[in-house]
Amino acid sequence: MSGSPSMPDSHTSLSPLKLIGLVVLFIALALLPFVWGNRFYISLITEIMIYGLLAMSLDVLLGYTGLLSFMHNAYLGIGAYVVGLFLIHVSPTSLWLACLVGVVFTGLVALPVGWIQVRTGGLAFALLTLAFGMMFYTIVWKWYGLTGGDDGLMGVPSPDIQLFGWSVGNTGNPAHMYLLTLFVVAIALILTRRIISSPFGAVLEAIRENEERAAFVGINVRRYKLFGWMLACVLAGTAGALYILCKGYIGPVTMSAFAGAGVLMMVLLGGLGTLWGPIVGAGIFIYIQDYISTMTEHWEIFLGIVVIFLVLFMPTGFVGLGNFFKRLRKD
Amino acid sequence: MNAFLCTDNLCRHFGGVMATNRLCIEFEKTGLRSIIGPNGAGKTTFINIITGRIPASSGKVHFQGAEITNKPTHELVKLGICRTFQITSIFNNLTVFENVRIAKQANSGGSLRIFSTKKSLKKVACDTWVILERLGLKDLAGLPAKNMSYGDQRILEVAIALAGDPEILFLDEPTAGMSPAETKHISDLIKGLSKEISIVLVEHDMDMVMRISDKITVLHYGSIIAEGAPEEIRTNQLVREAYLGKDT
Ligand SMILES: Nc1ncnc2c1ncn2[C@@H]1O[C@H](COP(=O)(O)OP(=O)(O)OP(=O)(O)O)[C@@H](O)[C@H]1O
Ligand SMILES: [Mg+2]
Repeated sequence: MSGSPSMPDSHTSLSPLKLIGLVVLFIALALLPFVWGNRFYISLITEIMIYGLLAMSLDVLLGYTGLLSFMHNAYLGIGAYVVGLFLIHVSPTSLWLACLVGVVFTGLVALPVGWIQVRTGGLAFALLTLAFGMMFYTIVWKWYGLTGGDDGLMGVPSPDIQLFGWSVGNTGNPAHMYLLTLFVVAIALILTRRIISSPFGAVLEAIRENEERAAFVGINVRRYKLFGWMLACVLAGTAGALYILCKGYIGPVTMSAFAGAGVLMMVLLGGLGTLWGPIVGAGIFIYIQDYISTMTEHWEIFLGIVVIFLVLFMPTGFVGLGNFFKRLRKD
Repeated sequence: MNAFLCTDNLCRHFGGVMATNRLCIEFEKTGLRSIIGPNGAGKTTFINIITGRIPASSGKVHFQGAEITNKPTHELVKLGICRTFQITSIFNNLTVFENVRIAKQANSGGSLRIFSTKKSLKKVACDTWVILERLGLKDLAGLPAKNMSYGDQRILEVAIALAGDPEILFLDEPTAGMSPAETKHISDLIKGLSKEISIVLVEHDMDMVMRISDKITVLHYGSIIAEGAPEEIRTNQLVREAYLGKDT
């Protein structure tokens, strides 16, 4: 049976043409800050990539495991606060150690939360994410002595970016921060894609498709749901580390339910279950938000209208639009 | 307690309804046992308890000498207790191939390889092809399961269960909705399998049951009213009354 036909997977691997396209895109993005000095836009794109990473991590949960988290931003927030606090109180120069501590801490918080949450599914799971998220939000908001409460965490130092003992830049420089973010997000995307197309990813998809059937083929559904949750939270914590380094500041609003809904919109705008779709979704969302907020302070209303329009006319998100054009070309 | 799998005074009630009423049934290591009975007799409930879908109200289940009552489903599957569902339960948006492969993978390990490709599990893929071939689904391998015909989905249901390498396989009305040709194919397959493993078949198609069963258990209101070889059941007065009583 070794001569069996190629495997009829619904995931196809990247064609060489697409791969070359992606490499070119990456190089173009990496060269951008050298040819375009606009600090404001460089920082905006950095923020888009960070939220793109967060939205992608939510996609691992929602698009691949079938679990809805209303407040995935809570784990970005935890990562960001811990990295910030480490830089302020422990060591202002240890960038990588601070990030490691932030991500590990995010995982340590996510573990017991996930352990409880995976005992449920569907709406109950989603409501638990809301309950825990609001709890974290309140803790951060009220613990003035540690977090700065409403004022947020200020005065986070900008460490140098050390690579193999060499200082290659500083996180306070927008161009350097942009490049650091680009590399981290690209690596995270590649690794996550790899994980999603592994046998482990197949288990997550089976759970998304039919939880009961998954249990009846011998899958320990709770355990794998927990693994999916941990993967999503660790990625969110990574986004948090980048966030605090990029902004040098974080306030509790970033961890609010309102912001959580925004992340969910990014995923839905971009298209579920694609990983790259939500990154595009983050781009659309943050660009619109930024553009409209220069014209009116009530930008949320207009953003809401845009989102309603997109949901009604592009129900499968930006990715769906791509498929739509593909169909047009074929006809 | 020497039987391969047996239940000991197994009970399950839903409110006031005794869906499973003090059932003691023994299954052998091989052979084809049919469980029949009118609608609502408690056949599905009985399977649900043994396979860990719902807990028993009281009573015990023993498998190969060990008690397995109310164990989690995935552990029972690992022991070789597999099933199909009366209401088709498959992975809709996965291809036919993926449906069977995930069952095979869960059974043979490798699910924690987060950095390898699915292709790297060669044995899993090979075994998947063997099962698809055996059930005549090979040509449909690349089709999303939701796009299959109803009858083919029922066959896929059996394929997924077989991928778990069962020692005892519970089939809840596998041929409901199949064409006569498909029914023939599946009943031949079931009969063949029963030489190697224990098959428990719930079925309403009496011709098929009488033709292929080694032994038949008849349930009515959650209790056993008859048990024996097909000829004995055919002529049993109680069984006739149970079925006829329902019609009139
Ligand atoms: N989840 C449930 N909640 C309440 N009552 C239930 C439930 N499941 C089954 N019952 C009841 O238990 C009894 C046995 O049902 P069961 O589904 O086991 O019958 P069955 O023999 O499989 O019937 P059929 O031939 O129609 O599939 C019925 O009276 C049914 O209404
Ligand atoms: Mg039934």
